[in-house]
Amino acid sequence: MAVLEMNQINKTFGSGHKKVDALKKTDFQAERGELIAVIGPSGSGKSTFLTIAGGLLSPTSGDIFINEKNIASLNEKELSKVRLKEIGFILQASNLIPFLTVDKQMKLLDKVKKDNMNKQELEQLYEDLGITDLRNKYPSDLSGGERQRVAIAKALYSNPSIILADEPTASLDSDRAYEVMQLLRNETKNKKTTTIVVTHDIRLIEYCDKVYKMVDGVLKLHEQS
Amino acid sequence: MFLAWNEIQKNKLRFTLIIGVLMLVAYLVFFLSGLANGLASLNREAVDKWDASAIVLTEESDKSLVASTMTIDEAEAMEADKTAVLGQINAIARTDDQKANVSIFGIREDEFIMPEVSEGEAFSAGNEVIASDTIKEDGFALGDELELSSTDEKLTIVGFTEDARFNAAPVLYGDLGTFQRVKFGEAAEANEDQINGVVVRTDDISAVTDNSELEAIESETFIENLPGYTAQSLTLNFMIYFLFAISSVIVAIFLYVLTVQKISMFGVMKAQGIPSGYLARSVVAQTFILAAIGVAIGLILTLVTGAFLPAAVPVAFAIPTMLIYGVILVAVAIIGAVFSVLTIVKIDPLKAIGG
Ligand SMILES: Nc1ncnc2c1ncn2[C@@H]1O[C@H](COP(=O)(O)OP(=O)(O)OP(=O)(O)O)[C@@H](O)[C@H]1O
Ligand SMILES: [Mg+2]
Repeated sequence: MAVLEMNQINKTFGSGHKKVDALKKTDFQAERGELIAVIGPSGSGKSTFLTIAGGLLSPTSGDIFINEKNIASLNEKELSKVRLKEIGFILQASNLIPFLTVDKQMKLLDKVKKDNMNKQELEQLYEDLGITDLRNKYPSDLSGGERQRVAIAKALYSNPSIILADEPTASLDSDRAYEVMQLLRNETKNKKTTTIVVTHDIRLIEYCDKVYKMVDGVLKLHEQS
Repeated sequence: MFLAWNEIQKNKLRFTLIIGVLMLVAYLVFFLSGLANGLASLNREAVDKWDASAIVLTEESDKSLVASTMTIDEAEAMEADKTAVLGQINAIARTDDQKANVSIFGIREDEFIMPEVSEGEAFSAGNEVIASDTIKEDGFALGDELELSSTDEKLTIVGFTEDARFNAAPVLYGDLGTFQRVKFGEAAEANEDQINGVVVRTDDISAVTDNSELEAIESETFIENLPGYTAQSLTLNFMIYFLFAISSVIVAIFLYVLTVQKISMFGVMKAQGIPSGYLARSVVAQTFILAAIGVAIGLILTLVTGAFLPAAVPVAFAIPTMLIYGVILVAVAIIGAVFSVLTIVKIDPLKAIGG
C-alpha cells in the first residue's frame, strides 16, 4: 500500500501566453521505508511537485492520496490538519521560529499535536544530529548548517509518515551533507517513514532507494537500486 | 500563551515599549477618571450625603436651588416618608487672614438632612454652624468667627462634618434662623417662613406634591442641573472615551506592524500545519498580557501619584470605576488585535516560505 500516491497530476500557473505548465500528467508512488531523490534542472518543477505532495499547493487536476485519503479537493483548514499529522517539511530557507530556543521549537509542536517523539527519542535525535549542546540556543545564534540540522530535527520530531525535503543539504559542507543524508536514511528505515529529497547534488543519490528525474514538468524514474 | 510569552521574553525591549505606551494611556485614563470623580464630588457630595430621593423646588426656578423660594407652609403639605426643609445661600466667609466661598444651608436639627458631626459639636444656638471639614484646608478651625460678604451677621464654627461640599463650595450648616438672618438681614423676622426647597425621601416622587407651582426633582436630575456640573463631567468623560478609542488604535497599529514583520514566520508555522486558530489565539493572548501588564502598572502609578498630590487637586479615585475602565482598556486593546488576526488568517503558507 502506497503512503503517497499521485495520479495524473497537472499544475498550471497563470493563464494566456504567460501560462506555465509546471507539472504534466505526473504519476508517482512512494511506499513506507523508501528514501527517494528527485533531481532535475532549475525551473523544471521539483519544488512544485514537493509542495503539491505536501498539501501546500492544490493541483490543477489529478488526485493525491496520502495514506489512502484523497487530499486534492480538501480546503485549507483540512489540508493544514493533514500537514500537521502526516508531513514533515525541511525547507531550503530555514523554517525556525526566531524567538524560540531549539528545545522550544520542538515543544511548540507538543502544543498543537499529540504523538510526537518522547524524551528519549528526542535525546537520541539530538545526538544523531549533533545538536545536543545547542538546545538552549536561539536560531540567530546558530550557523547555517546548525540551523538546517535543527530544522531536520523539527521535521522528524512530529513522527510524520512523509518527510519532504527541498535541498536540505544546500547550506552544509559535503561531510555534513553526507551525514544528514545518512541520518535521513536511518530515520526512513527505522521508523518506516517515506522520505522525498529534492537535490541538485548527484553525489547524494547513492543514499537513495530510487531516483526520479524532473525535466520540464515531466517526472520520470531515473534509476532504482 | 506559549508563543506569546516566549516572544515577549525574547524581545523584551520591543514589548516593553508597547507596555510603556499602554501604561501611559492607562495612567491618563485613570487620572482623568479620578479627576472626573473628584470634580463631581466637589459638586455633589452634600447632596449625596442627604441620601434623598428628590428635592422639591418651585417650577419657575428651573431646577436651581438658589432661584427657588417657597414657604414652610408649602413644605408641610407634602406627602413623603420624610421631609426636610432647606434654605440655601452662597457667601464668602472670612476671618482676619482666611477667606473661602461657602454655601450656607439652613436646616432643622431634627430632620433627616442634619449632618453627622465628626469633630466638635452640633449647632445649638443662633449663628453657630457645622462646617464641611474641607474648609480646614483653607485654614479655618473650630471656634473661628466668620464674617460674611453680604451681611453684618457673624457665624461661629462649632463642629465639622465630612463629605459636605455643594457646587464646589464647603457647606456651613446652621438652623433656619441663622440662614434667614444671613439672607434677609434686618428683614429676617418678616421672612421667617421663607425657605428654598424641601428635601424628601419617598418611594413615589410623583405623589410628593400636587401644587402646580412646585416640582419634585429626582436627586440625580437635580445634580445634573447644578451650574457647570454636566458640562464638566461630559468633557472629562469624552476625553476618557477618546482615550479608549486611541488606545485601541495604538495597539492595532503596533500589533499590525509586528504581525506584518512576522508574516514569513507565521507562514512557516502554517506550512507545518499549525492551525491559524492557534496563531490567532496566541496574538490575542499576547495582547492580553501586554495590556494587562500596562494597565496594572498604570493603575499602581496613578495611586502612587494620587498619594503625593497636594490636597487642593480635586482627584478622588473610585476603585470600582477604575477597575471597570481597566477592563475596558484591556478589551479595546484586544479589539485592536483583530486586524492582526485577520492578517494571519489570510497568510498563504506557500508564498511565505517562498516555495
Ligand atoms: N507561483 C508561481 N506562479 C507562476 N509560476 C510559477 C510559480 N511557482 C513556480 N512557477 C513556475 O513553475 C516552474 C517550476 O518551478 P519550480 O519552483 O517547481 O522549479 P524547481 O524545479 O523547484 O527549480 P529550482 O531547482 O530552481 O528550485 C518554473 O517555470 C516556475 O517559474
Ligand atoms: Mg525549487
